[in-house]
Amino acid sequence: MTIRDLLRNAFSNLRRRKLRSFLTIFAVVIGAALVSLLVSLGVGAQEFLTAQIRATMPPDVLMVGSNPNAFQIGFGAMGFGGSPEEITDDEGSPYSLAPLTPQEIESVRALEHVERVDPYIMVSADSVRLQNSEKRFRTQLTALPDYLITSKELVAGRYLNDDSQGECIIANQYLESFNFDRAEDALGQEVVIQVGQITSFIGLPTKTKDYTFEIVGVAEKTLSSTQIMISIEDGKEIARFWANEPELYTDEVPPAILQVKVEDSQYADQVAEAVEDLDLGALTSADVLGLVGDIFTIIQAVLSVFGLIALGVASLGIINTLIMAIYERTREIGVMKAVGASQGTVRRLFTTEGAAIGFLGGVIGVAIGYGLGFIINQVSHSTFLADFETFNISVFPWWLIVGVIALSTLIALLAALYPAHRASRLDPIEALRYE
Amino acid sequence: MIELRNVWRLYRMGDETINALAGIDLEISQGEFISIVGPSGSGKSTLLNIIGGLDSPTTGTVVVDGQNLSKASDRELSLYRNKKVGFVFQTFNLQPTYTALENVALPLVFAKVPLRKRNEIARDTLETVELAERLGHTPGQLSGGERQRVAIARALVNDPRILLADEPTGNLDSRTSELIVELLQRLSKERGITMLLVTHEMMIAEHANRVIHMLDGRIARSTERK
Repeated sequence: MTIRDLLRNAFSNLRRRKLRSFLTIFAVVIGAALVSLLVSLGVGAQEFLTAQIRATMPPDVLMVGSNPNAFQIGFGAMGFGGSPEEITDDEGSPYSLAPLTPQEIESVRALEHVERVDPYIMVSADSVRLQNSEKRFRTQLTALPDYLITSKELVAGRYLNDDSQGECIIANQYLESFNFDRAEDALGQEVVIQVGQITSFIGLPTKTKDYTFEIVGVAEKTLSSTQIMISIEDGKEIARFWANEPELYTDEVPPAILQVKVEDSQYADQVAEAVEDLDLGALTSADVLGLVGDIFTIIQAVLSVFGLIALGVASLGIINTLIMAIYERTREIGVMKAVGASQGTVRRLFTTEGAAIGFLGGVIGVAIGYGLGFIINQVSHSTFLADFETFNISVFPWWLIVGVIALSTLIALLAALYPAHRASRLDPIEALRYE
Repeated sequence: MIELRNVWRLYRMGDETINALAGIDLEISQGEFISIVGPSGSGKSTLLNIIGGLDSPTTGTVVVDGQNLSKASDRELSLYRNKKVGFVFQTFNLQPTYTALENVALPLVFAKVPLRKRNEIARDTLETVELAERLGHTPGQLSGGERQRVAIARALVNDPRILLADEPTGNLDSRTSELIVELLQRLSKERGITMLLVTHEMMIAEHANRVIHMLDGRIARSTERK
């Protein structure tokens, strides 16, 4: 029997018992819709987070730390999943970072394919306010090399370059805090950023210093809702006060972490290996994305369990439907055998019918899941995600569509194996006599 | 053509063993028209099913057209049923949801004949049984005689060497029965098909060149005619 005829037979049998076929398929539809919708939500969240990570850590940039364990971000290092990791060297805690030596910095700079090396500036500010206002807001002050600043999208103004002094780019969310109706209104305004020195003892009075910056740009809305970006040079100066170390980021007290830009993202892994050969720690965006990918694989697996349970229950319905069909069609099976259907052919007739149920259920289920995802996206964009136009909560990549249809077809086919086996073993003589 | 040597077929029914066939020796040549008669339970149908490859002997050998059926696998037997034999049943056994044309074409489906080609062959075959104008009807819309003619067309569609008819007139009135048997007789003559007809009506059996009388799983007597 040809595949065409198997399919023709399967679909015409499904049409014969419309209500029963509908109910059986409907159970598959629920499962497929659940699996596809839940996974699509996971994919949406993953894509969003990936985009956020890409924005702060492009694929052609890697972090270099003085401690080879500096960036151990596996599950073990995070303290869950896996057994406690053994510490094999005298570096101690992965969180303690000694400054790099000038020689180490030079050897990183000398590595092949390294384009540029900057200190990773750590700085913290207490508050930010408009020059002529007393209303203070929290802020996350970030000093970045210009190539990282230009990778962000602006809604107004211009970027900073490495020589900029006293200029900043503010996060979009500050427009509301500072009562600007339009992003352009913020340009040229001055903000005062108060930095408090790190104190070693809680309760001692904190030394503070005010720094004034002119707003030259407003960033597009991202998750970094309190970020104020300044140039590396300004950052160094503030960091020296903040850490109470006037020699910070000089040869006297070099940085502990470097931002290394490579010529092209394809060299990132190669440079990371070379860095590790220098007995330093390296972290690429691929490492971070890999971890995010791992976490989301788990989240998606957990989410899809509900849909898989529904598909499992649906497969019981398929078994039931096909066993009923054997009783109904016993004589027909007998006739088929009498005119030349082998056991294998009868088995294929039934597995094809099961697979057809799974396929139809999968197609309809994915379509419904897609529709629900579309509605969720529309609703979210008109409400709480109004400012994140590029972010969709539900995302259907092609592999999800194909995968869910294939999965429901496969599960249905497996469910059909037992009924198919039973049908194939019918004795034709008894089947022909069956009333 | 057909050769049975010491064929036994035993059934277990609870504690009892029933000898449906108890040592059958039989030779049939190509083109013969044979009637098998006997009381119910005498083994007529079992003999037919074994020759048709639907059942296998417990012991003994069955050779049809050089092929040893007693040693054949399920695949070989299904191929044999598809290509070499055609079955006609008392209860017609047509697929209730298929049209006459689809019913006749069913064996060609298993022979992997493409749709267009098999509809063509099935239409021609329905013409031989004079049902060309009924091919779109389902069995429920046909009379008993018409249904049996559809079933005969289905048995003929693969151009078999052997046609096995198990009480083909059992559900028909005498006038229709007569027409059906005449049709079988004509086909046997025109196409040289070996015909085995199980019946318990002597009127019907009379049409054959040889009548085999069965009793308790044995051939009690065999009469040649004309």
